[in-house]
Order: sequence, then structure tokens, then C-alpha cells
Amino acid sequence: MKQKQRKAALSLAVAMGAALTASGAMAQTIDTKRIEANNPNDWLTYHGSYNSYHYSGLTQINTKNVKNLSVAWIHIPGHSTRGLQSMPLVADGILYYTGSYSRVFAIDGATGGVMWSYFPELDDALVSRQTHSPYNRGAALGEGKVFVGTVDGRLIALDMKTGKPAWDTKLIDSQKLTVGFTGAPLYVNGEVVIGSQGGEWPVQGKIYAVDAATGKKKWEFNTTGDDSAKSTWGNDTWRIGGGGGWMPGGYDAKTNTIWWGTSNPDPLYDWAGANWKTDGARPGDNRYTTSVLGLDAETGKLKFYHQELPHDTWDFDSAPGEFVMLQRGGQDYVVHPNKSGFIFVYDDSAHVKNVWPIVHNYNFVKNIDPKTGELIGRRDFTAGKQGEVLCPHISGGVSWNSGSYNPKTGLYYKLGQEWCMKLEVVKTTPVTEPQVQLNIGANFQIAPPPGGTIYGHLDARDPITGNKKWEVKFPEPPMASVMSTAGDLVFVPDSRGIVHAFDATSGKELWTHNDGLGHQGGIISYAAGGKQYVAVTSGFGGMVSDDFAPAFGGVYKSMPRDDGALVVYSLSK
Amino acid sequence: MMFRYLSLATVALSIASVLPAMAQQVAGTPAAETSHLDVDQLFATTCGWCHSDGGRVAGKGPQLMNTKRSDDFIRNRIKHGKEGAMPAFGSTFNDADIDKIIHYIRSLKPDQP
Repeated sequence: MKQKQRKAALSLAVAMGAALTASGAMAQTIDTKRIEANNPNDWLTYHGSYNSYHYSGLTQINTKNVKNLSVAWIHIPGHSTRGLQSMPLVADGILYYTGSYSRVFAIDGATGGVMWSYFPELDDALVSRQTHSPYNRGAALGEGKVFVGTVDGRLIALDMKTGKPAWDTKLIDSQKLTVGFTGAPLYVNGEVVIGSQGGEWPVQGKIYAVDAATGKKKWEFNTTGDDSAKSTWGNDTWRIGGGGGWMPGGYDAKTNTIWWGTSNPDPLYDWAGANWKTDGARPGDNRYTTSVLGLDAETGKLKFYHQELPHDTWDFDSAPGEFVMLQRGGQDYVVHPNKSGFIFVYDDSAHVKNVWPIVHNYNFVKNIDPKTGELIGRRDFTAGKQGEVLCPHISGGVSWNSGSYNPKTGLYYKLGQEWCMKLEVVKTTPVTEPQVQLNIGANFQIAPPPGGTIYGHLDARDPITGNKKWEVKFPEPPMASVMSTAGDLVFVPDSRGIVHAFDATSGKELWTHNDGLGHQGGIISYAAGGKQYVAVTSGFGGMVSDDFAPAFGGVYKSMPRDDGALVVYSLSK
Repeated sequence: MMFRYLSLATVALSIASVLPAMAQQVAGTPAAETSHLDVDQLFATTCGWCHSDGGRVAGKGPQLMNTKRSDDFIRNRIKHGKEGAMPAFGSTFNDADIDKIIHYIRSLKPDQP
């Protein structure tokens, strides 16, 4: 048996070595073709691939030997204010990741040795005024550079080999608008695309493309002020409509289209009631907030869109940047989770093909028509205390972190969150001077679902139909990304700090390890020197996880919210 | 319905009036400050994401109702914030605004069922 395992490991190592050699020959060039080729030794872009699978094709770590997984090395980035929320990247055996304050590290993927680090000088006075800050959710790689956004509105390119800045482009007047960049960029065809924060602030949230070589802005898309959308904002409220797109999207090379999800309109909660088309804070549909956009990669022009929640008055963004692109029966599908906990299934031009809920507790609508995407029985608020709790909670039926599609099992592994909130809607006045302030439009408080308790669950589902194969429950909602592998494993880093590995087919738990800090970032797998590794960011804190201590007590009461570690595992035998 | 530019302008004016006032204070000539802040609305605008139910219960931030903290502590925390926990509002609210906020906190009562 042991001999068989050694033989298998050896042949895999040989195959990996060949792949590493091949990728080594291309080490100087990370371009769209190389990202599309999706060598499993690498993890070249936030979602693992342009089609958002968050899937590793490596098999060295599998259901048979995962019990031997142990810590290979750890990196402590320091000053992890509000934890670590980023998705590591790997190219040619070198791991790149970001921490709070957009600190960037390049690390030898086999040994954990730091090759270089870069700490940008930020506008500290601005950072001290920000609410959704100073965390960073990741970088992008391309053309020999590492790209990272900052909370003070800049996009920075670093030389991959040295960490020295190649260019530093200011895109947002963050000093005035307060918003910046926390999401990872996306590299596509010589440009770097990144979306701003926006939904909670009276601003015009935008998506930007910058020339990867020069740092010069190439195009921008205004998610509230596009000419074709202004008529959907009564009283010119598009000028302070919020929106933005704070997570990286996907890319369809076949049509040269960037898929991007947008954030909610501002204020988050409206008091218009049933008359929202003509009354309230922002009368009308409020395009293109809470929408998925298809943008021409070259020009940024809108090719198509679907507004998942017209006049979103629940803060259920379309900003989760996960666009799972797959084929079935000759048909192209794009699967996108909305923060409400409904999963939208589109064709390759954002025509609705199906909609299914991953959460059990929702009452912001009675349902969403699976044929048309139309909201059925929407719940629009008037000012005052709402008698019935609103489900899901403002933190979402799904997190901004990603699920995983496994082409071997054909299953989509995705976390759902069951929680609600007491809500009092309040007419508010947007504050834009001297600096823009949050504009919520409500007081609220976390609450359990009616007749139940708060919990989270990992579902293994058919991504198109939503049919469930299995489900695993967690006592508190896990907030991190999920990864599945060709080794028939699904990894779930949970909020208590435990990383779980499940059998991808059955859902049986096969391995756990306690990282000592809650997870709310990425998990990836890669190979270095012929050996497979799993890397996960641990470190809790932020707009969602800061609620865990008062809501759940227990381990969260003493869990630091200013600490973090990158933990990397490999097989010990 | 127009934008609430009037209210915005009021807020902007109240804050604009702070800046020269602060400069005068540096010069040793204290100036009276006024506040046009609608503090009842403020929590639903900016503060309530962390201070749940208008500050009545603990959320991301602590419960403010019945807080044992002194006025000076609260004033200092509003002005300077706390890294990773609370933003600094010293460039947004003047002393009169902050006095109003402290008064609001001291006046908080439990929700009526």
C-alpha cells in the first residue's frame, strides 16, 4: 500500500515537475493566455481562473491521505487590523498575498522564506476616518507585475521580482469621497480592472481599467451615472447613488467580456414603501446598482446587464464577484450569487435561465421568478420600526467570499447563512461635506430567524438547477472562501478558526485543523518543487465578523481583531 | 422632491464655521460653536452600523445606552476614533455637534415593546 502511494506520489511529482518546467519557461510572462491555460501548479488570479471555479486540479492531496495534512510553514504579516481577508496568488512557486493597509508579500512557496515585501505609504488621516477599512482582499498578477488597490483610492503596480513600484495611479478622490479600494483587481489583456467601494456612501461608485504597462487610466464605468441609467434615478439622485463594484469579477475570453457585479444604491434602506418608483430617497430602479454587468474589455462599454434587485432597499448587492462559467448540453451558463442568498443562472449575455435560493430564511421577497428573475412580493419599507425581522441579515445570505465549482463532481460548493435583523427605517440626509459619510437609512440589530437559531451551511448543489446533494451545518456562519480539488476534497475555513476538509462526493468530514484565528479570506492550492500545498489566510475582524463576539460569545469574545497569519499546509508523510 | 441640499448646506456651513473657529482658538480667542446636527438621524445615517439599535445594544461597537464612560472619554473617542474599531470624526463634527451626540447617548432609553 505504502509502495503504491509512493509510486503515485512519484509519478505525480514528475508530472508536476514537467508542468513547473513548462511554466518556468513562461515565468516572465503572465498574460491572459497563461491565466486561461490554468496550470494547476499556479493560482494566477483571484478566483483561481477567469471562470471563477476556485478549484485546484492538483491531486497529490486527496481523500485517502488528507489525514496527513499538517502545517508546512506560517507567515505573520503583522498589523493585521480587522484580520486577513485576502486571496493568495501563486506563480512559478512564488506566493504573493496582501494584508491590511495593502501590504504586499512575495514568499517562497516551498519554504515560506520572504523574498520581498512592500508597505505603501497611505493617507493615515483618511484611513482613520474610514469605516470599511483598512483590510485588503487581494492582488492581481500580469506582465511581470503585482497590482494592488489601496483604501486611499490608488492602484499600484509592483515589480514581481523586486517589489519595487512600477507605477502608482490615483483613481479616486478618497480624501473627499471617503471610499477607496479594498477588493482585488483583475488583470485582462494588458489592463487592470478594479472597482471602488460605493454602496454605503452618497458617491458615484465606479469601475476602472488601467493600462498594465503604464498605469494610465484606460476607461471607467460609472455604476450610477451612465447616460442610459440616469432616467432610473428620480430627482437626479444618481449623483449620490452609491453603487460601485468592490469585488473582482470574471472574464469571458470568447466574447472579450468582463463580468462585474455592482453594489447597492445609497442609502441602503429606503422609506418610500410601495411607491418607490416615484417617492423616497432615490425614486426608480436605480440602475446599474445591484446588477451584473457585461463590459467590453477593451472599451468598458456596457454590452449587457441584468439588474438582480431593481431598487434594492435591503443592501443585497450583486458585488460578490463570483461568475461561475460552465457549459452543459452545449449551452453556456454563468452562475452568480447575489448577497440576498439567491443564486442567479444566466446565459453568456446575462439572460436569466434560472434563479434558486441557497438560504432557507428570506422574506425581503416572497420569491424570485426562476424564468424571468422578476421579484415576486417584494417587501418595501416605510419609515419606522418594522414589525417582522428582515431576512437575511445585512451581512447577507451569502458572503462576498466565494464558493467553488468542481468540474469532476459537477457540483457547486457554496456557503449559505441563516440570520436576520430587527430593523427601524429612518429618513436620513446624505452628508457630503466636508467629506462624504456613510448613509445607512436605518437602525438595526442582528436577530435569529423566526423560530430558529443563527447558523451557516455548506451546500453541495447542482449549479444550474440548485438541486442539493448534501449539506453540512456550522454553528456560526463561516465567512471565508471555499475551495474544491481534483483530489475529491472541499476545504472550508470556518469562523472559529478551524479548517475542514470534506469528501467532495459525500460531504463526510475527513480532516480538521485549528488555525487559532477565525477565517474570512481566501484558500488556494498550488505546487512548488513538485509538492502540493494548501494556503489559507486566517485573521478575524471587519464589518461582518465584528458582530460575532456580541452575537455568539464563546471563542469570539477573546478572538483578536487585529491579528492574522497565512497558514500553509502540505502532506507530512 | 429636490435633493436635501438645504440640509446638506446647513451641515456644510456648520462644519465650515468650525474650521475658522478652530484657527481662532489656536490664536487664543475661543469662539462659540453652534450645531445644526440632527443627532436623532445621525445614528441611522452613520453610526448605527456598529452601534446597534441606535446605540441601545452592543453590536460591532459597544452599547452606548447607560455607558459608564465619562463625557471626556466619549468626546475624545468621537474625535480621534480607535484604530480598527471606530473612525475618527474630529474633522466632521465640531464640539457643539459632539456635545449633542453625548446628550443623545445620555438620553437613550430602552425600546418600548
